Amino acid sequence: MTPEADHILKVSAGQLMAGVIPLLPNAYSQGSTALLAFLMLFAAEEYERGADIRAADNADMRAAFGAVTPLVGDTTLKAKLDEAAASADASLLISALDKSNAHLRALLIELQIYLEEQPGDDARAGEKRIWTVLQASAARRLLKSPVG
Amino acid sequence: MIEDLSIRLQSYLAPKLAAPDLVVSDLARIPGGASRETYRFRAHYTKNDRPIERALVLRRDPVASLIETDRTTEFRAYGAFHKLGLPVPEPIALELNTAALERPFFIMEEITDCSAGSILAPDPYGEHREKVGQQFWGILGRIAKPDPADIGLGDFDGARDTGSCWRHELARWEKVIDEDESEPQPIARAAIRRLRRNPPPPAQKISVVHGDYRTGNFLSDTNGNIRAILDWEMAHLGDPLEDLAWALDPLWSHGDPTHPAGTIERERAIAVWEKSSGLRVEPQALAWWETFASLKGLAIWISAAREYAQGRNTEGVNAFSGWFCLAFHNKVLADRLGGAS
Repeated sequence: MTPEADHILKVSAGQLMAGVIPLLPNAYSQGSTALLAFLMLFAAEEYERGADIRAADNADMRAAFGAVTPLVGDTTLKAKLDEAAASADASLLISALDKSNAHLRALLIELQIYLEEQPGDDARAGEKRIWTVLQASAARRLLKSPVG
Repeated sequence: MIEDLSIRLQSYLAPKLAAPDLVVSDLARIPGGASRETYRFRAHYTKNDRPIERALVLRRDPVASLIETDRTTEFRAYGAFHKLGLPVPEPIALELNTAALERPFFIMEEITDCSAGSILAPDPYGEHREKVGQQFWGILGRIAKPDPADIGLGDFDGARDTGSCWRHELARWEKVIDEDESEPQPIARAAIRRLRRNPPPPAQKISVVHGDYRTGNFLSDTNGNIRAILDWEMAHLGDPLEDLAWALDPLWSHGDPTHPAGTIERERAIAVWEKSSGLRVEPQALAWWETFASLKGLAIWISAAREYAQGRNTEGVNAFSGWFCLAFHNKVLADRLGGAS
């Protein structure tokens, strides 16, 4: 069985911690190397989930745009939201997902500013919907502390 | 490389300390954050026929910094609060000319036999958490107490009147995000708008704000005595609640925000600060500054991410900050603001 990248990163981080750091001559080089091991553990986590969290973020934003667009009176913004809601990720490459994500996030900011300036319960409900998307995204992207 | 630095440091310090026989030994880099390269060393010389050995620290500007900070500010803050009797290392020399060590630097006393708590440690102070907590929150109150002009820091950057502290700091960190974000940041942008729409009451006074008072930026010994408050490079004038809110931030709470900074209960921490500073904490004002603190964190982490991504400063701490800390503060702010929209 071929080892996956996250497995290789975890094993390598463990080897750095147990086999290399104790041999280093001072606190600075030990601390810097321990931090590199932590980054390898984060990278291992991201390897497993990276495409999934980006795809989920993008899907959530598109769904929110579709749900909120009836509240939007600005025709230019509404057209952009409709187009974004109907779009889809054509590739699961991280770079492609990130490009879509940046475009959708910029539109989310525009929508949020628009709703904040509108009176009424519907606008507040639209804002709430956006915060639900942002809270889910932030929770998804949280990294586990390598020391528990 | 370290030998060359040692020789150059020796050449610089000998005339500065009027010690022609001065010898530098044991120069070694130590952890000290991403905003300065930090080294410890020993200076040996004779004064009045007596041999002297001094433990000193060199803080040199890096090639590229996490945040652009002024080493003069840091040096002057060390001097002012050291004179006041706070646990702050004595500053020795400030050099802005690049001839001596290629980049500006300053030298200060080393506080030995101490350590700084890691923000990742679950219980950094163990049996000394009460003792460390009483000192930590009390010293922060003492920093807020003096009039900046009385301690020679009245010209520091920052707000000049109590009504504009929030506006000054919010604009400062919004500018950092404007300049450094490499992708849209909806949570940070929403936080900025929310803070601007709902300003806090005026500050009770203008104080020197340390700017980065937290776990990791002070040294304590094995008996739980705080011996040094470090990293004053972001010191400025402003609302003393800014420092309190930063110190209370969940990122430095070791997984337990009810015991900020890994010390005592939040309510008691605030009470210690109130008693020491002579100020009171108005909940609405503190809530504003706590949201601001997490936003300021985001701004710093966004800068760190950019430095690393662009290869200007590839120290691991920048990748860690731009990844772990950025995600952490996005979560804190999304929960705080999303729950109240």
